[in-house]
Amino acid sequence: MDIPRGNIIVMDRRRGKLRVGQGLIQGLKVVWDHWAGSFHKNENFSQIHGTFTVEYPDERLPLPQTYRNMPVLLYDDESGHELCTGCYQCQRICPPQVIHITQAKDPVTGKMVPAATEFIIEYDACMSCGFCAEVCPFDSIKMDHVYELSTADRVSLTMRKAQLNRPISYYASIAPDLWAEVQAGAMKKLQGSIKRRPDVIGLAAVLTEKIKARRLELAAAAAAAPAAAAPAPAAPAAPAAKLTPEEKAAKLAAMKATNANKGVAAPPAKAPVELSPADAKAAKLAAIKAANAAKQAGAAAPPAEVPAELPPTDAKAAKLAAIKAANAAKKAAEQGNSE
Amino acid sequence: MLKTEELQINIGPQHPSTHGVFRMLVTVDGETITDLKPVFGYLHRNHEQLAEMNTYQQNMPYTDRLDYFNAMANNHAYAIAVEKLVGIEVPERAEYIRVLMVELTRILNHAGALGFLINDMGAWQTQLAFGMREREKILDLFESASGARLMCNYFRFGGVARDLPADFMPRLKDLLLAMPGFVDEMERLLRENEILLQRSEGIGILPQELALAYSVTGPVLRGSGVAYDIRKAEPYSIYDRFDFDVPVGSVGDVYDRILVRIEEMRQSKRIIEQIIEQLPDAQGGYMNPKARQNVRPPVGDVYARVETPKGELGFYLVSDGSTKPYRYKVRAPSFINLTPLGDMCRGYKVADVVVILGSIDIVMGEVDR
Ligand code: SF4
Ligand code: SF4
Repeated sequence: MDIPRGNIIVMDRRRGKLRVGQGLIQGLKVVWDHWAGSFHKNENFSQIHGTFTVEYPDERLPLPQTYRNMPVLLYDDESGHELCTGCYQCQRICPPQVIHITQAKDPVTGKMVPAATEFIIEYDACMSCGFCAEVCPFDSIKMDHVYELSTADRVSLTMRKAQLNRPISYYASIAPDLWAEVQAGAMKKLQGSIKRRPDVIGLAAVLTEKIKARRLELAAAAAAAPAAAAPAPAAPAAPAAKLTPEEKAAKLAAMKATNANKGVAAPPAKAPVELSPADAKAAKLAAIKAANAAKQAGAAAPPAEVPAELPPTDAKAAKLAAIKAANAAKKAAEQGNSE
Repeated sequence: MLKTEELQINIGPQHPSTHGVFRMLVTVDGETITDLKPVFGYLHRNHEQLAEMNTYQQNMPYTDRLDYFNAMANNHAYAIAVEKLVGIEVPERAEYIRVLMVELTRILNHAGALGFLINDMGAWQTQLAFGMREREKILDLFESASGARLMCNYFRFGGVARDLPADFMPRLKDLLLAMPGFVDEMERLLRENEILLQRSEGIGILPQELALAYSVTGPVLRGSGVAYDIRKAEPYSIYDRFDFDVPVGSVGDVYDRILVRIEEMRQSKRIIEQIIEQLPDAQGGYMNPKARQNVRPPVGDVYARVETPKGELGFYLVSDGSTKPYRYKVRAPSFINLTPLGDMCRGYKVADVVVILGSIDIVMGEVDR
């Protein structure tokens, strides 16, 4: 039989013709060489003797820039502007479907705003494939280099947006070349919508200047109208404000304010409606919110047990529970009113 | 002669020498094996059904998890299948990078597999540690190129995910400097070691006809003396551009399989040297810029196969014109190579079972899918 560009070699089963025992000694010599070599360090790839391990918790090998472990979200250092626009590309491509995004909505018009109010990645089920970072058109989601994530508590591996947010400078420090590539390629990705709304849409790498200018404008406008700042003291909005641009924070505050003004009955009733596109997590969140609202309304017991019933992965059940909670809350509110 | 009663024993599913969760139902007469039934399915992960629910693109990282020793080779087979189905061109440079990665995979697989085999024979960890060290160096290279050591997910339809980093080639050349020394050393340690000869010579013979009848592939088939290598028989990618030899055994026992694997590492090194020579002249980038990743292939089916370190890995895809495969079938070499285990073990001693199993070189992730 002939094969192209090569020969068939029939392996010779007795090449060295050593005498009995010599093969063993030859093998022992190899082991000896390795033992003797173990007193010096293996310097580079071309050596085959010497120790090649590091003492892990004390020493760590440098990671290559391309290394990928778990995805994180980037925001602009100075402005806190988050690059994510909630375009759902990453959620769609994620093979095990562990990304859950809630798109931000304009409270007045109800239209979609290019930002994500909530961004959940289930780290425990993420397969570190890197597809999300690859498809993100706004270079918002990137692969982190932190690999010591072990925990005994599975729930803590469901990461919320606040836990995922990292400044751009952090990513630029772990992968300088890759970030330089992003900056070089960012202009190419500029799309009409980004040009129109640089204040809200990502890609801050090339747009920081513009964003800064816009932010100054906004700040000036806010200062000019101190009355507008009045509803701001709503305390829970504060942590979110740290990471989002003022505009978003203001919107959030406005939303909260309107909700607060509507009185006790309104928010729980609204919860299931907001949920319609819901994934399980968002539904659960809403259920918890509803329960809390109900608690505030004065009726303590019935809704409080609802979140405990929730199987976290079952979207339908979660929705159902949310609706139940809302109803319970309504009832509670009615009772409260009648009293 | 004393009449003895036959006894059935289970080896596995939890057993350190079964390379995963794998059960062998062994019938022994004294020490001699009269029958052996391989029982698998303990690691079933619904891979194929899962793949039919995902898009073509989303399946790429799942192929890593088939034979987790050789993620790059699995990627290659799947990428070729989809490219054939859709009709995507792959630039020359990308082809070189692919073949380079796959040949590195072959070296690391054989280094590891031989280590595990010697481990099964009782040489606790010695050869395994030597093999693992070479494997680590290659994994370092994989990590710098693809971002991950084992689950590389490096191949894309129409190329690879990113170009080789700047420090890749110097490190690869360093590695190749060490490679002959490593393989020679391995050969010195194993080849004429009396203990190894005792445990492997004439053990687990798989005759040529039987190997062909079971459609065994890879080093196991070549160990039985059939010079069948898909890289030669049906050159895919750019394998027709390289000179390399196909080592075959003459008896078909465990020892022949060891020899074939050692020689295959040398041949892979030869291919890599040719790649290093030819890569700078290769046309095109690492990726076909026109290739879409979220493919929607025309209605039809395709079978594409490659020679992974373990044998013929094939993907059979049926497209109904949507973005998800209608049918996705994996022809896994470990699975098929495992089927003649009963015939290979019959008549040998029960202590030989783990050695024979080790010489097939299986990865349960691929056997059970
Ligand atoms: S790395 Fe892969 S699995 Fe993990 S979140 Fe991103 S796309 Fe999903
Ligand atoms: S992280 Fe990127 S891909 Fe994902 S929703 Fe945000 S902008 Fe889109």
